[in-house]
Amino acid sequence: MKNPSNQSQSQAQRPQLPQNFSTETIKTLAVIAILVLAFMNFSVVIDFMITVMIFIYRFVGESFGITIILFTILIRLATWPLNAQQMKGAKAMQDLQNDKEWIAAQKKYAKDREKLAQEQFRIQRERGINPLSSCLPTLIQFPILFALIPSITYAIGSYPLSLLKLSRSVFFQDVTTLVPLNSKFLWMDLGLPERTVILGIAIPVLALIVALTTYIQSKLTMPSSSPNPNDQAAATARIMSIQMPIMLFLFSLNYASGLSIYFITSNILSIVQYAMMGKVNWRNLLPGGQK
Amino acid sequence: MRKKILIVALFLLAALILSGCTGATAWPGLSAVNNVAYLAHTNVVYAVDVRTGAKLWSFTGEKGGFLNSNPSLFVTTPLLTEDGLLIVLDSGNKHIIYGVDTKDVSQDGIPNVAWKFSGICVSQSEACTAVKGHWVATPLIVGNRLFAPNSDGNVYVLDLQDGQSDKKAKTIELSKSADQTDQDRLWAQPVTDGERLYVTSLDHRLYAIDLQTNQEVWVEELSAAIPGSPVLGSDGMLYVGSLAKQLERFDPATGKHDAVLDTNGWIWGTPIVDGDNLYFSTVLNVGSTSEGFLYSYNTKDGRLNWDPIHLDGAITASPLLLGDRLIIATESGDVYSVGKDGAVDTWYHPAEKGKAYTTPIIAGDYVLVAYIESDYYLIALDSDGDVQWTFAGK
Repeated sequence: MKNPSNQSQSQAQRPQLPQNFSTETIKTLAVIAILVLAFMNFSVVIDFMITVMIFIYRFVGESFGITIILFTILIRLATWPLNAQQMKGAKAMQDLQNDKEWIAAQKKYAKDREKLAQEQFRIQRERGINPLSSCLPTLIQFPILFALIPSITYAIGSYPLSLLKLSRSVFFQDVTTLVPLNSKFLWMDLGLPERTVILGIAIPVLALIVALTTYIQSKLTMPSSSPNPNDQAAATARIMSIQMPIMLFLFSLNYASGLSIYFITSNILSIVQYAMMGKVNWRNLLPGGQK
Repeated sequence: MRKKILIVALFLLAALILSGCTGATAWPGLSAVNNVAYLAHTNVVYAVDVRTGAKLWSFTGEKGGFLNSNPSLFVTTPLLTEDGLLIVLDSGNKHIIYGVDTKDVSQDGIPNVAWKFSGICVSQSEACTAVKGHWVATPLIVGNRLFAPNSDGNVYVLDLQDGQSDKKAKTIELSKSADQTDQDRLWAQPVTDGERLYVTSLDHRLYAIDLQTNQEVWVEELSAAIPGSPVLGSDGMLYVGSLAKQLERFDPATGKHDAVLDTNGWIWGTPIVDGDNLYFSTVLNVGSTSEGFLYSYNTKDGRLNWDPIHLDGAITASPLLLGDRLIIATESGDVYSVGKDGAVDTWYHPAEKGKAYTTPIIAGDYVLVAYIESDYYLIALDSDGDVQWTFAGK
């Protein structure tokens, strides 16, 4: 059994942070530092990713399609804690939108923005909610996401300069006999936008699957509608659930299908992670399921 | 609400901008005929007056996709036919070859498209078979025929005479490896000895095709990709460099081959021939940077004329023979002049950033060098290496 006096002693000895300098602030600064470092050395991030991809490519018997899928799983596993934290943060923010005190404050100080902000900050502190906790994990994934696109583009090597960049992005391995990488996967050439000719019409099947999985993913992970009509988080989620599939569909139409493979795999893994954390809202898929 | 939408929009914008940070994917194509230079640079083909550096006209190809999100990509060397048609290849996702009429340019400076080709159409009633890969290789004009190798592994043979190219076009389907896993990406301009066409592939092979029958005569395999063209030496043999860091000699009659020289790096460019000598360059990767080396190989005695010359930056271009010296452009942006005795001189050092991957050409009194990731696309150097004009695409 712990001695309460010892406990209070150890607490007293623990170095105290300056006032208004919480652990969350330190986390925020750390994330910003990582982001700055990543963007300053963007090519290093790309080189690292390509090296890992080439290693996987050799390991799986030279199939770049399987490489992209495994690499996406690897990225998802590496960012699992960040995603989990983001989900928790988002849920907390969502719950806050339905909090009576929160709604009352919004009504009471509707015309005084400064006072409203103070009151919202107070409520968040009292509930132990950090509004940044849901977006910081997302921010830290930006360099990964942004580096992925050039990494896959270089690795596929559809053009001479991509191949030249690939040749010097790979460390610890000689790619001389490997290039060009085998970009055939199922019915696709991963270096080209995919089109499947059905009854004489070229249909972008993969781009449609990207849009569909993105829509399903955003619907399943969207919280149920809150009774609060001013719930901005829910409104943003609704906009995103339409906007993102359209954006990714247009993107997939014109870019190498290898990137579409990444999007599809990533969407499926996202659904799996939400399901494992018990946060998938299956009713959202049904018509009127959100009501 | 507006704030949230703004954040979402900014995120998407940032994603698109940063995903575009891959930079250029290919280097420009450059040719010149009668004081007009043709530069295929990213999304535009320019005709430039060699005497002044002024733009004569430009060509952007067909618009493609939502808000032109699938623009044309022009990177192969434009070719001018005797009839004044400029053969321009869209290396993007539309896979079109254009026959651009340089004699029919509108007042707005846009040339008329005489014909275009994106697949074989046997008859009006039958559906066309589309070209499936990117155009990376510069085609070759032989008489009235255009031989265009594609990344889909086929060589497309177009009849240039009447513009009905899609009806008369033929496909030379090159043989694949036994496991059928590779795609036979053809990236280099073919060469011909008048009887046969020699085509290299990124999938490690060299093909010989009979020009009369369009049939494959032989195919030989190397241990690595061949991004450059073969060249016919003064001894009648074919020489080709590869990423296997070797210079390979082929008997054009039989395809029998042997490695005649081990080098220190990947051979990207096509060797050039000067009598018994071959000049070519290599790219040696050192960590995440590259160094370039110039080789001079005597085919008669099978020896190097001098030790490989180290130049700053990767060299993917072929050297340009200018009188008694060689002009070499490198990734660092520098242009070197190397005497046939191996004496090196930095001919031009750019004040601004810029990368030169394309083989320089002689046009009129000048040497033209194409750049990417630079404020200018093209520069004209006089015989002393002094800049006479720059062209920025405007």
